Amino acid sequence: MTLTDGELERYSRQLVMAEWSGAAQRRVALARVVVIGVGALGTPAATYLVGAGVGHVVLVDSDVVELSNLHRQTVHSTDDLGKAKADSAAARLRALNPGVRVEPLRLRVDSDSAPGLFAGASLVVDCSDSFETRYAVNDACCAEGVPLVEAGVLGLGGLVLSIHPGRSACYRCAFPTPPPAGAVPSCREAGVLGPMAGIVGSHQALEALKLVAGVGEPLLDRLLQIEGRDATQTIVSVRRRPDCPACARVAAAA
Amino acid sequence: MSAELDLSGVLCPMTWVRTRLALEDLAPGERLEVRLDPGEPLESVPRSAREDGHEVSEHGAIVSILKR
Repeated sequence: MTLTDGELERYSRQLVMAEWSGAAQRRVALARVVVIGVGALGTPAATYLVGAGVGHVVLVDSDVVELSNLHRQTVHSTDDLGKAKADSAAARLRALNPGVRVEPLRLRVDSDSAPGLFAGASLVVDCSDSFETRYAVNDACCAEGVPLVEAGVLGLGGLVLSIHPGRSACYRCAFPTPPPAGAVPSCREAGVLGPMAGIVGSHQALEALKLVAGVGEPLLDRLLQIEGRDATQTIVSVRRRPDCPACARVAAAA
Repeated sequence: MSAELDLSGVLCPMTWVRTRLALEDLAPGERLEVRLDPGEPLESVPRSAREDGHEVSEHGAIVSILKR
């Protein structure tokens, strides 16, 4: 697979990096990455993956664009109100990089639909906004042996964790049980400042590119906590649980 | 074995992008001869190649890089 002159120029600012390479670029070009949700976190995550030249990006979302989304979901425009988010984001991202296959899927991700979506994928980026969906995504990725980048954002705080099933702690290892109902307000109730979603979703894109290209040190067994209020970041060690119902019996993927 | 790359008229950073990719296709011990324009290309490509650990010699407009 040879990069065209246009691709060389489009990706030149990453190809000049000591940490990147033509081989890394070819690895991302051959990858299929599934992004769950093109909202607050999915906006930067999907945008940077498409920008970086990931060959096939699947955008999964069952929602439509609402006015209250736009302060943080900047992949959509005011003209897109009422449109399916998957379609709205796909149109914008195809315009950003026509060389990438962008596939919108208007679908709700749950424990029934997730396994079929992820089979054979290079990586999944979970940009959903509920614990229920995160557990379903985590369990399906563990079952299929697909690497995953998990994250959450709320108010002025955020979390990011990369997961290599069978090799590093999964989301259930880090958070064995969901918080009791009402303990954590949903995004809708608590609100979120747009740039916080930008920071956390950008971290997800960075993790995804590192994992797919095989560069750098991904956040495996390390939970990144980002506090926007005082601009601090903390790394918390997490470990695989030998009795984890999702990943304990998963053999390490190659 | 050696390879040649004519980057006349090519500007930075594309000079280094193309040089790096050409070096990736070579095995250690093989040589790449790159023709570069004076100015920024001839100043920065040899420096970048040395920073990446390769052996570099310069002969006018030709930069010879021994891949390490």
